[in-house]
Amino acid sequence: MTDGGDGYTLAELMCIEAARLMPDRGVAVLGLGTPVLAGTLAKCLHHPDLVICTEVGAIDWRPDPATVARAPLGIHDLILNHGAAMATDMVDVLGALLMGGRADLGVLTGAQVDRYGNLNTICIGDYARPERRLGGTGGNTEIACLAPRLLILMSQEPRRWKRRVDFVTSPGYIDGPGARRQHGLAPQGPNRIVSTMGVYRFDTPDGGETGSCEAVLEAVFPGLDPEAVAALVPWELRVAPDLREVEPPTAEELSLLRRLDPFQFYLTPGRY
Amino acid sequence: MPEPKLMTLEEAVGRFVEDGDTVYAGYLCVPFALTHEIVRQGKRDLEVVGASVVWPATELALAGCCRRIRSGYIQGALRPGPVTEMMLSGELQYEDYSNQAIALMLMAGALGIPFVPTRSFLGTDYITERTEGHPGRIPGYRKWQVMDSPFDGQRVVLLPAIRPDVVIMHAQRADAEGNVQMWGHLGDARWGLWAGRKVIVTVEEIVPSEVIRSDPSRTVLPGFRVSAVVHCPYGAHPGGLAGYYDFDFRFLGRVINPAFSSREGFARFREEWTDVRDRQAYIERVKATIGEEAFQAIHVDQHVRPLREVDYGYSRNTNLRMEGKVP
Repeated sequence: MTDGGDGYTLAELMCIEAARLMPDRGVAVLGLGTPVLAGTLAKCLHHPDLVICTEVGAIDWRPDPATVARAPLGIHDLILNHGAAMATDMVDVLGALLMGGRADLGVLTGAQVDRYGNLNTICIGDYARPERRLGGTGGNTEIACLAPRLLILMSQEPRRWKRRVDFVTSPGYIDGPGARRQHGLAPQGPNRIVSTMGVYRFDTPDGGETGSCEAVLEAVFPGLDPEAVAALVPWELRVAPDLREVEPPTAEELSLLRRLDPFQFYLTPGRY
Repeated sequence: MPEPKLMTLEEAVGRFVEDGDTVYAGYLCVPFALTHEIVRQGKRDLEVVGASVVWPATELALAGCCRRIRSGYIQGALRPGPVTEMMLSGELQYEDYSNQAIALMLMAGALGIPFVPTRSFLGTDYITERTEGHPGRIPGYRKWQVMDSPFDGQRVVLLPAIRPDVVIMHAQRADAEGNVQMWGHLGDARWGLWAGRKVIVTVEEIVPSEVIRSDPSRTVLPGFRVSAVVHCPYGAHPGGLAGYYDFDFRFLGRVINPAFSSREGFARFREEWTDVRDRQAYIERVKATIGEEAFQAIHVDQHVRPLREVDYGYSRNTNLRMEGKVP
């Protein structure tokens, strides 16, 4: 499960593919966890003009790809002060940038995801009496509510993929087409989920108003059987007719990703 | 003469933290030395607020000082352990918000307005009945209100203002008047500082007022709003502070995680760490615990300094003199 073959792990390819899928331009707010690593890789390799920010107040962090010591260890790493265009606060990033409509992309992960791309970051089981309580949402909720485009990274572990997340901390398409608008949000929900086995898009031709708004498998990692991936998902997963195979990591992608995670803070060998 | 602001941890907490206070403790610039002092003095019935609350809230809860938390992220609940048990038994009251929510609620408190609208939370389970009736619920507390804007009908969620009784914060530097300077990303600190009725700041360095006043854009709170300043190097340890030291992951792994994972672990931590009032003794103990080399490794070795000095300069007379308006 851990080995994607050719000496890379599936989690490494998740981060690499997520980095590839980020846009060339625009303002991205990176959430806690692997989004920070994938965003740094995107910035350093594929999309140097992408503006990357984290909610603690780091705006337009511009590391030098040749010398950067690491991807930030979390969204608050002091390294974000090195080469940022602006070091400010949460009201600026989660307020003026994100709620003010001045960000273009959010990148998130969470404890659970469901077929509508809803995320849960707070509890496993019932909120009032959870099997397991977690830390909480941080800024995950506002990034999911307010970012006009959203990219999700989610390990393909069965416990993380649910028909319905145990608690919607961070809305995707909520319960189907038009739901976001009914709740007062912009209709466009998540655009992609990159897992440790494939890539999902959402079945909505017009950004959240029509279609089923369900996650559809559009790509699998090299050598993986889409049916095997579908078997790990607890709903009747549709596979896109134009299913593609994700390109394996290039040597450059893999070596840079590993250089950006020198302490294996994000990607532990032998784990996903 | 203004009242002197410089004092010891003991005096600052003794004078300005009262039982029952709502305490703002930020998740960056972690006020951990101040937290230990609050525990040593046995303050009671505190509420801790912050966008994300980390070790200070966890320690205050485990020490029996904190009865209530409002936050977007509760570090103590990240893993199973005594804080989670306290939350789920109702011993520790809590209301979950988000980073943006708490930052805005502090801003509203600072601005003196009773509530603040956000467009976050719409479509989440937070604003449904699913969050009512949890065992840690704060009795009678109105957490939010969904409404449509009276101006354009846009749906918003109203959040109540937070006006902390006391702010505890660790910062880079201050002067003896209490003018506080911080730099780097600030998290929710900017509005947290303004929102507080009383403000206690520990700092790495006390500098002459001329230093502060030669660079006023870096000041995050003027001295007249600050109750107490304590010179307390490493006051954020094992947290980091831009320009001084970075997060101490070894200490977090070896000392903090076990301390917060069980009641027995916390009892040991309290004895070995919290009860060490002398800051130099604390640092010596850190060195002995993680090793001299590891202690050196937390210090900044990648300096990030402005490449050009800034000049706040102005003209003494401007051209009003040319207009004959100056005697």
